[in-house]
Amino acid sequence: MTISRIRLAQAASGLVLLGTCLVAPAGASEGSSVVEEGKGIAFSRSKGNCLACHMIEGGESPGNLGPPLIAMKARYPDKAKLRAQIWDATTVNPDSAMVPFGLHRVLTEEEIDKLVEYVWTL
Amino acid sequence: MSGHCDGGLRSNIEPNCLEKREIMKKTLNKMAILLLLGGVVFTAQATTPEEDRAAFVKHYKFRFPDVPMEEYPNGAYAIDKIGRENWEAIEEFPPYEPFIDEGQEMWDTSFANGKTYKDCFSDGPGVASQYPRWDKKQGMVITMALAINQCREANGEKALKYKKGPIVPLLAYMAFESRGQVTNVVIPEDDPRAMEAYEKGKKFYFTRRGQLNFSCATCHVQNTGLKVRTEVLSPSLGHTTHWPVYRSKWGTAGTLHRRFTGCNRNIRAKPMKAQGEQYRNLEYFLTYLSNGLELNGPGARK
Amino acid sequence: MNMRRLPSVILLAVIMAVVAAPTVAADAAMDPKAAEVMKQIDAAEAARKKAASVESEWTTTGKLIKKARAAESKGDYDKALGLAKEARLQGEIAYQQGASQSELRIPAYLKY
Repeated sequence: MTISRIRLAQAASGLVLLGTCLVAPAGASEGSSVVEEGKGIAFSRSKGNCLACHMIEGGESPGNLGPPLIAMKARYPDKAKLRAQIWDATTVNPDSAMVPFGLHRVLTEEEIDKLVEYVWTL
Repeated sequence: MSGHCDGGLRSNIEPNCLEKREIMKKTLNKMAILLLLGGVVFTAQATTPEEDRAAFVKHYKFRFPDVPMEEYPNGAYAIDKIGRENWEAIEEFPPYEPFIDEGQEMWDTSFANGKTYKDCFSDGPGVASQYPRWDKKQGMVITMALAINQCREANGEKALKYKKGPIVPLLAYMAFESRGQVTNVVIPEDDPRAMEAYEKGKKFYFTRRGQLNFSCATCHVQNTGLKVRTEVLSPSLGHTTHWPVYRSKWGTAGTLHRRFTGCNRNIRAKPMKAQGEQYRNLEYFLTYLSNGLELNGPGARK
Repeated sequence: MNMRRLPSVILLAVIMAVVAAPTVAADAAMDPKAAEVMKQIDAAEAARKKAASVESEWTTTGKLIKKARAAESKGDYDKALGLAKEARLQGEIAYQQGASQSELRIPAYLKY
């Protein structure tokens, strides 16, 4: 790597850092509302209806077809994998009983994004 | 392989033994692949109805080792202790009783032409164990509901609707009169179309459908005994023994095909026609699985 | 032609022209979008039927098409377009779902 390239990389990361600093405060407040919206989608019977199959803290009469939604960050260190699981679990396991919320358009991409943010907090 | 090299766990293995073991390993790997391929081919091959039934029995026995076979006609209540208490209380004053009485009246009432159901069902009302059956002449699976309407139409009466209404009490009476008989679906070998119908029913059962992407097996094999919300998923063994059913959710009694319709709707799949070919074939397959189980209809369910 | 009738004929012609003019103008203006909506609804209906042909139709698709038609008849073309597009996509996925399972596959959880 040449020096100029390193400089460029440094400059770029500096810009990214700067960008992060600028965005961070707004992102934090937006983040919590996104999580709230995600929770709404998870609990709604006509949307995610996650409680039909999963135990979630604070959710009433959950089913147990799927595993309880706990320690999600530990189970899915990679958020993208969690999203993929919600989008279509049958790609990993063809016999998965989980509804392919993305592939079958039960939820919109935006709704799934919000749902992932919420589920990741569990 | 020489016996000398077989002691794989010993530390003092001769060099040429290591070589031999390497070859052995490779051969074994190849064999494993072949076996695996063989396995895949095997599952892709058609299994016989008896093999299918045995697989279901094995599956449920493994999952519910304490539940005896004769409990399966009780559906989810064979495996759900809490639900069972409620159900036993309901069964003390069965909600389907008025349907049996009404059905008996229908059975005893003659058609406009003076004939009765007895003229079609010469063995009397207790014939549920004869259905569903393959009819060679018509080239299709005949269910008891279909036989009732064929009888009516042959005698100049209007066909009854298949999901609810007056066909339900008649079926309830006939089911009640058949109590104690044993499920005994036969797939005659003299007509390959019978096996085809069975295979179609089996295919329907294992096909994932609807926006929610469930097959019958997703709930009733893979996840039997687990709960969707508070509903315990029932095993497929015994699914067909107790129809028609008074379902509290319906507030009335309904037919097996009405239940099929509801199941399909739950998974957001467009239901097939009640007593259409798909559901009749499904009934053929599903009832075959319950061969050997006692008929206990009509039933009561949550 | 009877000359005494001429004024009434002219009057009638004028009235017809006045009434017809804006309608024709409006038709010409909304035609492309309305036509596009109808095209999309037809495409959705075709996709739904294709899914049904492999016994794989979803309950949601027909409902979307119904809603799309309702929106169209109210002149809400953007909404109708969105609904029809969603219905078409659903029909296509449902067809895929059915077609991809044309062969029976016993799931791994049922052991023979």
